[in-house]
Formats: sequence, structure tokens, C-alpha cells
Amino acid sequence: MSISARPTMPDKSGSLAKPADGRFGRYVRARFADRLFKYYFLFSILALCFVLGLVIFFIGKTALLTFAHISLADFFLSFDWTPENESFGAAGIIVNTLSLTALTLAMAVPVAVGMAVLIAEIAPKWLRNMMRPVLDLLVGIPSIVYGYLGLTVLIPVLRRMSGENLGDGLLAAALVLALMVLPTICRISDEAISMVPKKYREAAYALGSTRLQVTMRVVIPAAGRGIVAAVIMGMTRAIGETMAVVMVIGNTAQLATTLFTPASVLTSNIVMQISNVEFDTTWNYALHMMALLLLAISFLLILLIRYLGRKGSDQT
Amino acid sequence: MKWFKKMSLLAAASLVAVSTLVGSASAASGLSGKITINGSTALLPLTLQAAKEFQKLNPKVRIAASGKGSVTGPQAVKKGIADIGACDWDASMDVPGFKAFDGQVANKVAVIPFATIVNKNVKVNNLTTEQLKGIYSGKITNWKEVGGDNADIVVITRAFGSGTRVNYQAKALGGGDIVKKDKNYKEVGSSGDMKTAVATTPNAIGYIDLVYVNSDVKAVSFNGVAPTTDNVINGTYKIWAYGYYMTKGQPTGATKAFIEYVQSPKFQQGSLKKLKFIPISAMR
Repeated sequence: MSISARPTMPDKSGSLAKPADGRFGRYVRARFADRLFKYYFLFSILALCFVLGLVIFFIGKTALLTFAHISLADFFLSFDWTPENESFGAAGIIVNTLSLTALTLAMAVPVAVGMAVLIAEIAPKWLRNMMRPVLDLLVGIPSIVYGYLGLTVLIPVLRRMSGENLGDGLLAAALVLALMVLPTICRISDEAISMVPKKYREAAYALGSTRLQVTMRVVIPAAGRGIVAAVIMGMTRAIGETMAVVMVIGNTAQLATTLFTPASVLTSNIVMQISNVEFDTTWNYALHMMALLLLAISFLLILLIRYLGRKGSDQT
Repeated sequence: MKWFKKMSLLAAASLVAVSTLVGSASAASGLSGKITINGSTALLPLTLQAAKEFQKLNPKVRIAASGKGSVTGPQAVKKGIADIGACDWDASMDVPGFKAFDGQVANKVAVIPFATIVNKNVKVNNLTTEQLKGIYSGKITNWKEVGGDNADIVVITRAFGSGTRVNYQAKALGGGDIVKKDKNYKEVGSSGDMKTAVATTPNAIGYIDLVYVNSDVKAVSFNGVAPTTDNVINGTYKIWAYGYYMTKGQPTGATKAFIEYVQSPKFQQGSLKKLKFIPISAMR
């Protein structure tokens, strides 16, 4: 096991136990502490794996019961989600989830990367030192706060501007989510851009490039993998977000054909319905299936991040 | 080994703490035990108040109450997780969408009135059963069809399975259906959300426990009768339901004593009335 570190006893106890003599000399104690820590760390990681395993096992076990009652095609291809009438078509909800995420990223990524370039490349030092803590603070704001602002501030504005009766829908949810993931994407991209070696820029300037050319053709491509990882981080946050979305999306299980159709996504659908269903029903199983689907999607995204990260480190 | 001592001390201390907690829970003499209550959020304020008073009288009884959704009440009782399942409908009988829970006893504890509410910009003051049926089934989509302005009706409803929805559908819509998919249709997750949504959405209509109604929204009359507690008691206002404590078989021990306390005239006429529920005795 390479988990164990080298003996690192605190200086204090080391100096107390004069030379290494007797049965409880420094060496013995150091080794004991070392072992103890090794097993402690091992235990920690195993406990985590155990919990993760349980989550997948229990969600999966319940989720797969869905298909004892309805076919795969019914679940994944039908657009009719009316559980009270025994129709469990999740296609509309899945499509809504994907389109909400796409819409969110389409709005957030250009702005976030632009901000990252400003902070990392263009802004004077004092502005940079001010912006970074502010963005870190924004990352930490609980999603319910964003959702509440969406409900009380954004929706009335959207309603007035669009002339719609409700204002709830994909657009409202995407705007709230975009605001939420913006700082995440921006900070990680900022880090990636800052990591680009200075010599790249100097070489480009030496060849007579303008600042725009340096940024667009040298810095951003060089930080490309980091930026992609940032985008995926934002994406996982957007896909899994529940509270902020539930407050502004309208919670109606139908395919969102316009930006203002009250709709439902996987997370919001689960949270709205799970407390109102009976345990041993297909409805309950189908909701678990949706949870499993979310789990699968985020696993895939995380694998993608790791893959891109590895490639990135090979390159430099 | 300072850290080691500290750690072991901490471990020992937490062990002692845990064991005393467990110990105090199982101390037995007189009326004692643990009552777990789960279910309806509408009944939760009542349950919490009753638990507080009951524990003052019976210090050895520990009550843990939580609220999630009406159907979780009888479900938790069925699974043995809870002793009492608070539910907005009689779960020992079939209701639209939910089968009866066999072997459970429904204990009436309160009368819950419901009101139809609209946004304050709506001019309509009264709606009949037929009009409400039309609105919620999607046949009536404009306020002018029921005597209001020329504006689309925005229907706001609770998620399927909500106790409020079950009762409203049964009493106000005569068992009629609620439209499921439409442009001007929104589902909310709780009574609080319902009030916010109706208060902030022009031309909206919704329904809610009467206790939640305040000046943010307008409560409309039902078949010409205003939604007030007096009208519920004199029998003219029909949209109300009993709140139930579901138990597995007849309640026993501390659970029985607690339910009897909630049903006692002292609690019904005192705290229950203060919480704006209606005493069950008023309906007899």
C-alpha cells in the first residue's frame, strides 16, 4: 500500500522523547502512529466506497423494478408522463433536461470564458484580486437563493417582456442556472488560462501578434482542455440542480416546445412527486429510474472530465 | 501521544452521551414511550402544538413529529416506521388515486377548511361547482366566461397525491378531473408555494387551506357561500375535510393517550382553535 506516509511525528513529542531507546522509543511510536494513520485513511476511503456502492445498489435495485411493469421503449420513447393513468413515458422529461442544460451552457459559457479572459489576461492586478474572491463567494451561494430571486424578480420581468401569463419555463430556469454556473465555469477557466506558460504569449507577441490574436489563437487554445473541464463542471452542476429549477420551471410533465412552456426536468419531477407516491408502485420505481439516469449522466460527465484532464497533462 | 488521549477522550465522551440518550428513551414508568408521527404538512402545526402540551403533562413520553406529504403518513404506519400517520383524507378507504390501507384505523382530529383563491386582479367573487369543474378540466379558459375580465385563466394546482388536491377535487370539483398539460398550467409543491404563486401571477386561480388565506390573495365564494369557519360549521360551505391520525389497528398505550389528548375538548377548544382549525365536535 502506498497510502502510508513517512513517519512524521510532531516536533514537540519528538523532542520530548530524547534519544530512541527503550520499548517506546521514538521509532516505535512513529511506526505505530504511521500504521494507525494508514488504517484510518484506508478506513475512510473504504467507508466512502461502501456508501457510494450502497447508493448505486439501492437506487438501481428499485429502479430496475420499473421494467417489470413497463417496457424500456415505454419509458424512454413515450412522451406521456401521467403516472396516475399508468403512463410512464419519461422521454419528454429527459429531452427537457438535455435542452435546459444546453440552453444554460449556451448562455453561460461565452460570458464565463470572456470573464475568465478578462480576469486572467487583461484586468489590472487590483481588479483581478477583487474579482476572484467575489466569484468564489458567488460559487458558494445556496441554490435556493438563486431560485427565490428567479421566482420573485426574474419571472415577473419575463412575464412583462413576453406577454405570457405564467413566465415559468425553460427560459426562466436556464437564466437562473446560467447565473449559477457562471462563477464556477469562470473560476476554473481562469485558472486554466493563468496556467498557460508566459513564453507562449511572449513568442506570439514577438511575432507581431495583437493582443486579440494572442488571446484567441494562442492562450485560449492552449488552455482549451482546462476550459472544457470547466464547462463540464458547470454542466454537472446544471443537470443536478433541483431547488432553483423547481421554483421557476412550472413543474408540468410535458415536452417544452417553446421557451415559456411550463415543463419538468428529471430533478424537479423527482422532488415534486417522490413524497406523494406510495412505496411499492411502478410510479415510485419510475422515479428511482430517473434518479439512476441522473446518476449515470453525471458519472459519464465525470469520466469525461478525468479523460480530458489526463490528456491535458500528457500534452504539457 | 497528546492527540491519542484527546481522541480516546472524545470517543469515550460521545459513547457516554449516546448511551444516556438511549437510556433515557427506554426509561419506563407510568405513561411512557416514544411516539413517532409522520405525514401531512397541513396537520403538522397542530401535531407539534399538541406534542408540546402533551409532553408537559407526560414528561416521560417522547414525541418525534415530522411532515412530508399526506400519503407518507399511512405508508410509514404500514411499514412500522411511525406510530401515527397524519393524513388529510381517510386512508382506510379508497380515494381517487390511492387505495385503502388495510388494517388501519382513521382517528379524526380536526376539520380542515379549504378555499378557492384567485389573484387580486381577478374581479370574479363567486364560482359554482360547474364553473370550477370547467376551469380545472380546461373547458373554461377565459375569465370572461365566468363573469370576469377578458383574460386567460392561469391554473395553479398542487402535485398529484397532495392531500389538499385530493380533498379539493372531491369536494369542490365533485370528483372532476384536473387538466394535466397546458400552457397556462403550473404545479407547485406546497401550500406556501401555492400562495406565493397565486399572489404573484395575474389571473391565477388556485386552492389552499383556509388558514393560509390572507390579504395577498382573494378567496372566492363557492356556490354563493363565503369560505369562513362559521359557514363550515353551519354546513353551508362544503369544501372542507377531516384531518386524520392513521394508526395500525386501534391505538394503544402512549399513542392512544396522545390521540385522546388531541381529541379532548380542552385541546380542541383551545390550541386547535387558535391554530385556525375547526374542532371536530363542531361538525356533529
